[in-house]
Amino acid sequence: MARKPKSPVERITQGFRVNLPAADREFIQRLLAQLRDLLLGPSDDDRLRRLFPTAYHQENDRAMDDEYQRLMREDLVASRLTGIGLVEECLGGATKESVRLTEAQLLAFVQALNGLRLVLGTMLDISEDLDLEEVAADDPFVGEYHLYSYLSWLLDWCIRALQT
Amino acid sequence: MKSMANAPAPIVVDQPDQDETVLPDTPWIVLVWNDPINLMSYVTFVFQKLFGYSLEKATELMLDVHQKGRAVVSNGSREKTELDVFRLHEHGLWATMQRDGS
Repeated sequence: MARKPKSPVERITQGFRVNLPAADREFIQRLLAQLRDLLLGPSDDDRLRRLFPTAYHQENDRAMDDEYQRLMREDLVASRLTGIGLVEECLGGATKESVRLTEAQLLAFVQALNGLRLVLGTMLDISEDLDLEEVAADDPFVGEYHLYSYLSWLLDWCIRALQT
Repeated sequence: MKSMANAPAPIVVDQPDQDETVLPDTPWIVLVWNDPINLMSYVTFVFQKLFGYSLEKATELMLDVHQKGRAVVSNGSREKTELDVFRLHEHGLWATMQRDGS
């Protein structure tokens, strides 16, 4: 995936501009559709583990955690799905090299990108000091590692734009 | 919280249930734990956004998470801290809660 020297995400007078070609945006949309399918699938899917963490970590609070998971999981899924829907609305359609987003849309984008990274990172069992250059070219997951790295790069630019 | 202003006055006053132990409203704390996936810039940003911390304070907390493995990011009643945990989970952070001092 080509990386342009221009910032992929920048603050403009009204809102933000995401400078990604339509092909990249369509690719992200397809990933988000997969994330939606995963969220609507079996709840015990291990790839979703990091999206639904334990809330009460102490042993004697286990009953409270069970209650939290029972009551809040649905809300967490709904929140993720709403965010994905919001991103799909604003990323799609346009055929230009960039797309304008409101702050609310960019925030949804940030959460969606991070959701993708959490699932991908869990699948790859990523470690903190991931160095792409150490991933062998014939590693069966080399594509996923590069995708993970691309999403991290894009997310970091979103945060920079938001903090500008 | 639902207003009780229009509730009918109780006719029979029950004795308090002897079996029910009334616990004081223990303060709870919210911890965020280090994980290998969430970006440092993202974690800092989430602390700012959810708790209104300055960039400096949010960065300090993020560095605690990163270097010490965890940091206390908020505290309060169980109800309040559980909502904080939920909002952190919405953002994909590894947050848990416990009674303060336990």
